[in-house]
Amino acid sequence: MSTAALTVYVLMWPAIVAVVLFVISRGFYREWAQARRDGQDII
Amino acid sequence: MPAGMAEAARDARLHEWKEVARVNGMETAQFSALVVVGLLVFFYGGTFLISTRIGKKEENADGYMTAGNNIGFGISAASMTATWIWASSMYASATSGYTYGISGPIHYGLWGALMILFIYPFGKRIRAVAPKAHTLAEVMYVRHGRSSQLMLAGSNIVGSLISLMSNFIAGGVLISLLSPFTFTQGVFAVAAGVLLYTLWSGFRASVLTDFVQVVAMLGAVAVIIPVIFFAADFPAAFESGAGNLTAQQGDFFSSTAFMEQGAPYIAAVLAYAIGNQTIAQRLFAVKENLIKPTFITATVGYGAMVIGVGMLGVLALYLGHEPAGGDLNNIIPGMAAEYLPPVLLALFFVMIVGALSSTADSDLAALSSIMMADVYGQNVAGKGKADPKTMLLVGRITMVVATAAAVAFASLQLNILDLLVFVGALWGALVFPVLASFYWDKVTGRAFTTSVLAALAVFLPVRFSWIPVDGFFGIVVDVLAVVGVGVVLGLMVFGFLGARAAKIAGAVAVVATAPFAVGSLHEYATLCGSLVAYSVSTVICWAMSVRQSEGFDFAVIARRTGDFDSGPTAAADTDGTDGTDPQDTGHGPDSRTGSGTVTVAK
Repeated sequence: MSTAALTVYVLMWPAIVAVVLFVISRGFYREWAQARRDGQDII
Repeated sequence: MPAGMAEAARDARLHEWKEVARVNGMETAQFSALVVVGLLVFFYGGTFLISTRIGKKEENADGYMTAGNNIGFGISAASMTATWIWASSMYASATSGYTYGISGPIHYGLWGALMILFIYPFGKRIRAVAPKAHTLAEVMYVRHGRSSQLMLAGSNIVGSLISLMSNFIAGGVLISLLSPFTFTQGVFAVAAGVLLYTLWSGFRASVLTDFVQVVAMLGAVAVIIPVIFFAADFPAAFESGAGNLTAQQGDFFSSTAFMEQGAPYIAAVLAYAIGNQTIAQRLFAVKENLIKPTFITATVGYGAMVIGVGMLGVLALYLGHEPAGGDLNNIIPGMAAEYLPPVLLALFFVMIVGALSSTADSDLAALSSIMMADVYGQNVAGKGKADPKTMLLVGRITMVVATAAAVAFASLQLNILDLLVFVGALWGALVFPVLASFYWDKVTGRAFTTSVLAALAVFLPVRFSWIPVDGFFGIVVDVLAVVGVGVVLGLMVFGFLGARAAKIAGAVAVVATAPFAVGSLHEYATLCGSLVAYSVSTVICWAMSVRQSEGFDFAVIARRTGDFDSGPTAAADTDGTDGTDPQDTGHGPDSRTGSGTVTVAK
């Protein structure tokens, strides 16, 4: 692999992790807001 | 800045901000006692406060085990991800990268991630058959009786205790490596912290705090890996350090990495995913319509995180980094201590503590559920007679006893690998009988038990080389292992495409593998051990079941695995079969359902 390809190969994983973190956090926020509106515990 | 100046500046920062100690003959950065105590109080105190937000004076027994089968996407995806990631998975991925080179983390993390994806179709079927169950063992009790239930429950008790012990050990090692505290003090601190926030609300506390822990873990990985990458003078080090890699380590399609790391792991994690109660518990807890997005998100999250952390092993290989004391588990702490500034080293510390705590609290919740539902609920009191308050007491006592046992075992320095291999084999032997029991109405309890015991009897001499495999026995092992390849691939395809496609995929896999595998596969004992466990249990379970004339009515499972805390499960019991009726076995043309319907495999 070239140096550029290796750089992308190593750094793509933390980038994907950041996307997953956003997706999970958004899902949690929506559930928290819904539970708050309904006056219930989130779980 | 030239490399030399950057290095000097980094060393100056290191010595300025962190204390430096000598461990195993190597210098390693340390936090002061006050900083470590502060971080532990911050982490465990914070998670405890979060758990108190959902704590109830009168907890519900079903909520304690599965949170009412009603968890949303955000929490369940976070919890599935956090539970699947334990401290050992990060250390092992980095070890794989350091040992096998650039493809190493893929052969650890990718296969582990894909197994989450492969089991979600089975998860949907399991929830459809048993929507209100708490444990897989509880379902097996209804399906086959006590022996199958105890096999699953027993393997999970052993497996979760080992996992708990392993995570406590990881915590003790981390704290002793990065602080003035001893290993034993570290083990006690982690054990007490996990028990503190899990004890009162059980599974509900476990999954809610998993969200916070996964945010810490994912956030840390997103920041730490790029920081170490550039601090260690990459990408230039890819060229300057290329000489540190062998040809296989530099090859993305390394056959050594696949045969020694990837292939055994594929076989092992499928068994782990199906057999482990921590996964099943989340499957029973999430809203049924959210199973697919939850599992897909957890697949991507787990894979990216574990592979990403594994890249630290690859970077260490390029740098010619020598782990402290020659122990490969020190690669990650060593790289972090060498290249991270104090604030990020603290974040790294929280990441590892979060990883081990999220799995440890899941193990405690799994153990308590098994003792509550399978031991007390089904076998001591009997379904319909179990007192929810007593169940809660059983669950909480289980957590305290399990924590004490895991702390005690941690000090005994048992051979964790051997124990894990045995539990993994047991789960491997259970995979086909368990899955077939959810789809195929002809599988009997006798077929289940016999096939699992026979598979174990063949696994042990193969895995531990009790019988020489260089003669006829070696050929037999190779043939069984090739069949095992077909079983593993067939099961993966079956979940998505059904029985016909699975049979074709399995047959093609056997035909394609046999010419290369027969005569040589027995040289890989770990891989062969797992594969023969799959093949023997599958062949015997199928052979003993295929001629059965009576079918099982799967509707019985839903009736007999209802909530414990809403009184007898009579709510859905419209025909007088309330789950306490020993005659309601599900076998026979009518099976007391009133409908006479026999649900057949898809």
